[in-house]
Amino acid sequence: MAKTYDYLFKLLLIGDSAVGKTCILFRFSEDAFNSTFISTIGIDFKIRTIELDEKKIKLQIWDTAGQERFRTITTAYYRGAMGIMLVYDITNEKSFDNIRTWIRNIEEHASKDVEKMMLGNKCDLQDRRQVSKDRGEQLAIEHGIKFMETSAKASINVEEAFFTLARDIKAKMDRKIDSTGPSKSAGYQLSGKDGSSSKKSFWKSCTLL
Amino acid sequence: MDSNFPSEKLEEICDDECQNKTRIFCQRCPSLVLSPKQAKLVKKEFFLPNMFQKNDHTPIEGVTLNDFWLVTNMMTFDNVGFSKAVDNIMYLICADCEMGPIGWHSIDDKKAYYIAVARVKHG
Repeated sequence: MAKTYDYLFKLLLIGDSAVGKTCILFRFSEDAFNSTFISTIGIDFKIRTIELDEKKIKLQIWDTAGQERFRTITTAYYRGAMGIMLVYDITNEKSFDNIRTWIRNIEEHASKDVEKMMLGNKCDLQDRRQVSKDRGEQLAIEHGIKFMETSAKASINVEEAFFTLARDIKAKMDRKIDSTGPSKSAGYQLSGKDGSSSKKSFWKSCTLL
Repeated sequence: MDSNFPSEKLEEICDDECQNKTRIFCQRCPSLVLSPKQAKLVKKEFFLPNMFQKNDHTPIEGVTLNDFWLVTNMMTFDNVGFSKAVDNIMYLICADCEMGPIGWHSIDDKKAYYIAVARVKHG
């Protein structure tokens, strides 16, 4: 059967337990069903399809699902990951402090060029906020990564966050193909009409960043 | 609702090559599970736990279903969730509202993913 997508990205959700990673696992629906049977055994990963610049992108999204409690997140889990969502809970100071530890863990175990993004989740709980948006932004700048506050519960920014991360991975891949692909076929493409149009869409995605 | 599909209905949802004519959605929310012509209708007996269990304490209730959409590559799905494996079976759920099981996959067969015809919406 013909391939039904243009890109395939493996993404991981990393962060302390109870920061709402499982909810961030792309739950667009307001009213999650949570069948007792499924919630008892737990969810391993999800496959999602999104469209970016008219390209079909499959996302395979993994949740650590409690492994973080036992500090067993190691190289095996990070293998093949192209994007990582670092998640903390804005109502939990400790989960924010631990982001630095998670970043170190990623540097130790994940591929060097993995794309990272930081999310401050549960931003609907303003009255219980312990971490200001400003501090989130500062930490993100310090590590040179993007940042967003999200609420999986109120469906704020969750979809946008995944689109942003996917767009960044795609841009990085396209750049890589551009620089490492002086192959004949690429040369043909660049001189042809198709080449100019694909260049255009590349710039289009860049300006969006 | 959760029984086997009448054969006249099966004709409406599958084409001459036994592939799905229509898109396949979650029964409960608008999440797209499969695009047209991506799965093949197969007869296969499999016991799937009910989507609505009475409570946690009784033994798992379910039904044996016979009609499934077979997908040979997991990346063929538009949106789907995989449960953790129980006795080598991973259960498939809606990626959005997490309704399920809507299907199953045995980790012993990397080329077979089954969606229960009776547990999805066609259209």
